[in-house]
Amino acid sequence: MNRQEFLGRLDSGLAGLPQEDIAERLAFYNEMINDRMEDGLTEEEAVAAIGPVEEIVSQIIAETPLPKLVRERIRPKRQLQVWEIVLLILGAPLWIPLLIAFFAVVLSLYIIIWAVIFSLWVVFAAIAVSSLACLGTSVWLIFRGGLIPASGAFGACLVLAGLAVFLFFACTALTKGAAILTKKIALGVKSLFIRKEKLS
Amino acid sequence: MDVQMKRGLLDVCVLAAIKDEDSYGYKIIKDLKPCIELSESTLYTILKRLEAAEMLTVRSAEHDGRLRKYYHITRAGLRRIEEFREDWQEIVTIYQFVTKGGNRYE
Repeated sequence: MNRQEFLGRLDSGLAGLPQEDIAERLAFYNEMINDRMEDGLTEEEAVAAIGPVEEIVSQIIAETPLPKLVRERIRPKRQLQVWEIVLLILGAPLWIPLLIAFFAVVLSLYIIIWAVIFSLWVVFAAIAVSSLACLGTSVWLIFRGGLIPASGAFGACLVLAGLAVFLFFACTALTKGAAILTKKIALGVKSLFIRKEKLS
Repeated sequence: MDVQMKRGLLDVCVLAAIKDEDSYGYKIIKDLKPCIELSESTLYTILKRLEAAEMLTVRSAEHDGRLRKYYHITRAGLRRIEEFREDWQEIVTIYQFVTKGGNRYE
């Protein structure tokens, strides 16, 4: 990929950002390419050294706060006509609830994901506590109920402890997965504002 | 490494790279290479953050017929490096405590 192509793809990838931000970014990467070439690399090598455009774009979008993207998205590129303003105000009862509904859906998605994780941890805690309770019961049974019921309770304690250990690892892995998933959703919502920009 | 901790360390690294003389993006990356591998995008974010915190200033200067941005450390930036050196003693103490965590049982 040459410089022109790289900067062009970066430019269109960042279309949802404020114009001056994009210009500054492009100048920064352009300078990097120039300096690398001065260091003895060819243009292609200098571009390759920076890394894949898609990765850079998604990193930048992930770092840009959502309000900034939304602000840029809703800021008109030209002066609004009177009839457009009238339409916007008249349409408010329609588009404001729609916008709220959209973010409510995203929010509920987050809640659903984390509620599942939370309930799994509750299950883990319940099993761990019951395992301890069985241990206590078995000790108590040694003195009060005889050895056979006591060993029964102790067995239950071991089974529950094993389950708890297994669940602990499963829960940690799932929590990590959920964190990645929520991050991806955030990125998806953000790129929604960028993709719309490119279509219009 | 913990994200917050890494962010703080990277800030100080970049400040250290421009401490003695003004530097530019590519040179900062090259100077830091033996210590820490930094991508352009990451450097950009750090420079922006440091500029917003007034720890460095930016100027454009002509180089070989094109413009290049040079970064200059401010007093606040120098103070940040000093703070880091002071914090470091504390971190070393914590490190020693953590790695010798078992000694109270010895």
